[in-house]
Amino acid sequence: MDSYLVVGIIIFMMIMFLLMGMYIHSVLLASGIIGLILLEGFSILPGLLGNEPFNRVASYTLTTIPLFVLMAQFILHSGLVQDIFYIVHKISRGRRSLLGTLTLIIGGMLGAVSGSGTATAASLGQVAVPELRKHGYSGPLAGAIASAGGSLSGIIPPSIILILYGVATETPVGALFIGAFIPGVLVMVTFIIAMLFYYRRETKRSPAAAEAQAEIAAAAEAEAAEEKVPVTRLAVSVIMGFLIVATIFGGIYSGIFTPTEAGAIGSVVGLLTALLLGKVNLNFFKASLTETIKLTGMVMLIMIGAQIFGRFVSLSLLPRKLISLLEPVMDSPALVLLLISAILFVMFMFIEGAAVILMTIPVFLPIITALQVDVLWFGVFISVICTIGLITPPVGLSVYAVSGVTGISSGSIFKVGMGFAVFSMIVVCGLMIAFPELATWLPSVSGGKG
Amino acid sequence: MNGMTTFYKLYGYFGVLKKIGLVISAVVALIMMFFITYDVVMRNVFSSSIRGGFEIIQNYMMPLVVFPGLAYVYASGVLPKMELLFAKFSPAVKRILILFLIAIEVFILVLVVQFSWTYAMDGMERNTSFPAAGTLYQLWPVFFTIPAAFALIVIENIFLFIKNLIEKDPTFVVEYNPSEEEQIINQAVK
Amino acid sequence: GGETSSEDAASADGEKITLRAATGLSPQHAWWEGGMEPWMDRVTELTDGQVEFETFTSGELVAVPDEAEAVENGTVDVALILPIYQPDQFPMAEVTMLPLSHSDTMIASNAWKALLESDVELQDGKTFSELQFDQFKVFPISTTQEYSISTTGKEFASAGDVKGTSLRTPSRIHEMYSKQTGLNSITMPAVEMYDAMSRGAFDGSFYSIADWTGYGFQDLFKYTVTGINFGHFNAFIGMDEAKFDSLPENVQEAMEQATDEYFEDSAQIWMDRSEEVIAMNEEQGGQFVDFATLPQDVQDHFNEGIENTWGDYAKLLEDNGLPGTELVKLWRDLMIEQGGEVPQKVKEM
Ligand code: NA
Ligand code: NA
Repeated sequence: MDSYLVVGIIIFMMIMFLLMGMYIHSVLLASGIIGLILLEGFSILPGLLGNEPFNRVASYTLTTIPLFVLMAQFILHSGLVQDIFYIVHKISRGRRSLLGTLTLIIGGMLGAVSGSGTATAASLGQVAVPELRKHGYSGPLAGAIASAGGSLSGIIPPSIILILYGVATETPVGALFIGAFIPGVLVMVTFIIAMLFYYRRETKRSPAAAEAQAEIAAAAEAEAAEEKVPVTRLAVSVIMGFLIVATIFGGIYSGIFTPTEAGAIGSVVGLLTALLLGKVNLNFFKASLTETIKLTGMVMLIMIGAQIFGRFVSLSLLPRKLISLLEPVMDSPALVLLLISAILFVMFMFIEGAAVILMTIPVFLPIITALQVDVLWFGVFISVICTIGLITPPVGLSVYAVSGVTGISSGSIFKVGMGFAVFSMIVVCGLMIAFPELATWLPSVSGGKG
Repeated sequence: MNGMTTFYKLYGYFGVLKKIGLVISAVVALIMMFFITYDVVMRNVFSSSIRGGFEIIQNYMMPLVVFPGLAYVYASGVLPKMELLFAKFSPAVKRILILFLIAIEVFILVLVVQFSWTYAMDGMERNTSFPAAGTLYQLWPVFFTIPAAFALIVIENIFLFIKNLIEKDPTFVVEYNPSEEEQIINQAVK
Repeated sequence: GGETSSEDAASADGEKITLRAATGLSPQHAWWEGGMEPWMDRVTELTDGQVEFETFTSGELVAVPDEAEAVENGTVDVALILPIYQPDQFPMAEVTMLPLSHSDTMIASNAWKALLESDVELQDGKTFSELQFDQFKVFPISTTQEYSISTTGKEFASAGDVKGTSLRTPSRIHEMYSKQTGLNSITMPAVEMYDAMSRGAFDGSFYSIADWTGYGFQDLFKYTVTGINFGHFNAFIGMDEAKFDSLPENVQEAMEQATDEYFEDSAQIWMDRSEEVIAMNEEQGGQFVDFATLPQDVQDHFNEGIENTWGDYAKLLEDNGLPGTELVKLWRDLMIEQGGEVPQKVKEM
């Protein structure tokens, strides 16, 4: 069959399947398989369908997926986050805008030990939102702060998105981690600025309400002063928190282990933390491991689907056709990049981040290569968009997680979150296009770029 | 009613099978964590790494972390999809859609089972192995976990199909046992 | 093999034939850029455009080392096949990785071509190609340049320095050699090597100098021993035998002719690249040390390893019912015929 016609049919089918509510991995598998059959007939299937599931999964680099998730699970189930937030609450006493700022910074630091945005957002929602509300933040703003703070895990290394991108494009994961550092901090800073803006606006609009809130807050603080967490426990939490970050980054940077191995080491340190904090029992293992296998299975199933779909995309020669279609504007890479980021932004609004990365790489990577855009830069760039997508409607997993634990409606959080997202998107993506060095400079000086 | 009791009894037995798979995956994940950590320690302290460790992890452990537990993962309802439009349909439309989606799903999965089975049988015939530290390790037995995992998912879908035929409320899961985090998120979406 | 290309291959003379060609390697790799690509261009030229190739590189369709399988099951029509990566399927292909006293890309490539085309019956009246690559139509291309030992700084001042040095090993033969000489072998995906080595996770690798640039090693290696040779990695352009037989005669001839014409050039590109890379590395402070200038005990240690590795590899094959001794002798004779050198003990085998 004519390959333009096949591509047309498959794109239409994909959209229909997605809208009908088919699982993302099934959309990819079904479109890939049906596309291959239309293009080449059944004879092509044995060679691709038989071996791809094994070949995709049997990868040393991908051990990072189960192991970084396991590390995050161990840490979240150890109670470390609650303890650290308790300390933050003590530090920011009386300075109300500081608490929001610190929450976002904590989100960033949690991002440095966690690969998954939703899990971090859920735990931030649990511990941070009540504190923020006591300090006079409105529900939606507090929810947006926790969601945004949690979403930072997507860009601040280690990040599952960066790992998936590295594996799919054979870019060294270590270099991607280092390259994502500055843009990750930038996203955090833009979130803080957006937060301060919303906070000012809120206190200006209803000073009386804010005052009343503050009074409640003062009472709550007095109350909180009563329920004391033992200092030794706090000390252990702080020390272990720093130790986890230091182990991972120190270990990778000093050559004791590779970024891939860091997942295993981090998990062991996470387990030790939980042991020291007295949280390890059978349920601890059950909960952590079940979640780990679920998330791993989910990512891998989508990866297998994306692999088969990718084979269809390759055989249909779609990327080459797109490039020739884009020929007139290929001379202005910025324009093409703008187009690609707009498409990705919309896709990240609707579809889970990892799935988007895996679906679009077969199509976009050849275009990026043809544009002679740095592959590492592009990986960091789309991870930024993906991170921001975690707080945009209608599918913003970070927001859903926070809304779920706090009971604040997701719609009202999205209204504020969208403001965070648009501001951050324009500033960080704009800066990254204007100054690509933001992502490429650190890897080039640290020798991490292969 | 009696039919439904048998249905859930059978589904319960099937659930045990999935749980066993989950436990295998979980245990291998833990082993992998300790194995890599041990390797790093040995390399740094005694400058000798586990010979062939990298290949063993890649070829044995990763597939065993992913495939045995896959049916459990599938049945748990964690897999992402776009639900926005779907939620707006009437129950009658929902049911037709679900039956249609399951039919496509089964068609695709059966193809995966068939061809991954052929691949595994072919691997057995060729005695497919991988080299690690100078020796060859048999690889083909691992291939069989793939058709097995996808066959279990086909069975899950058959249960789901029957449930949607018999019962009133259209559903994507036979028995919903969401995790804490999912419960939270689902609550929020509603 | 299945029927895959959009055009039916068995078409009448003059009808257009589109063949799907693939490699898991990058399009800049010497085997693709200097071997398979010119070969395909020449075939198109010789058939006046009757044959065209639709190419897929960098694993876009098939990853390393699945090319052989992809050719067999018909996913692609023709591919760059790297048999050493699959010792379970092609256990005798590793023979070109046996260490030597002297050779270069040209010598090894000619010997490899001679081995593929050899009519010496090794077992049950079958030749090397019949024993290993019966399902393929084989078009020989060059081997890589010789493999050297390079480190990120560690030097070999005595035999004691060699023991415990951790190097990445690319094949079973290097594993055997490491075992013989007390080297500590590390296995790791190539994409992770730069990261791990630049941070000191291990000391170095067996690698061919011309191939360094693919992973940026020219900026990293500081010490390379030349004048001793740890074998040559091999490859060939492979097509399903039945597929080849179904092609019109003029096309078959064009493919054979293109192979003969381009074979030497495909070897030369490795020699040229090697010179460029050495210059780049020296600029970065890299040091190339001739084996003959190393202390005698280091030389003896390495040479003893070479001798024993030949025997070990032959024995490994014999243990699996393959003509190991016959094979290594044939390879030794072909190498010497082309100008290569082996240690005395290997000569006496
Ligand atoms: Na992170
Ligand atoms: Na979104």
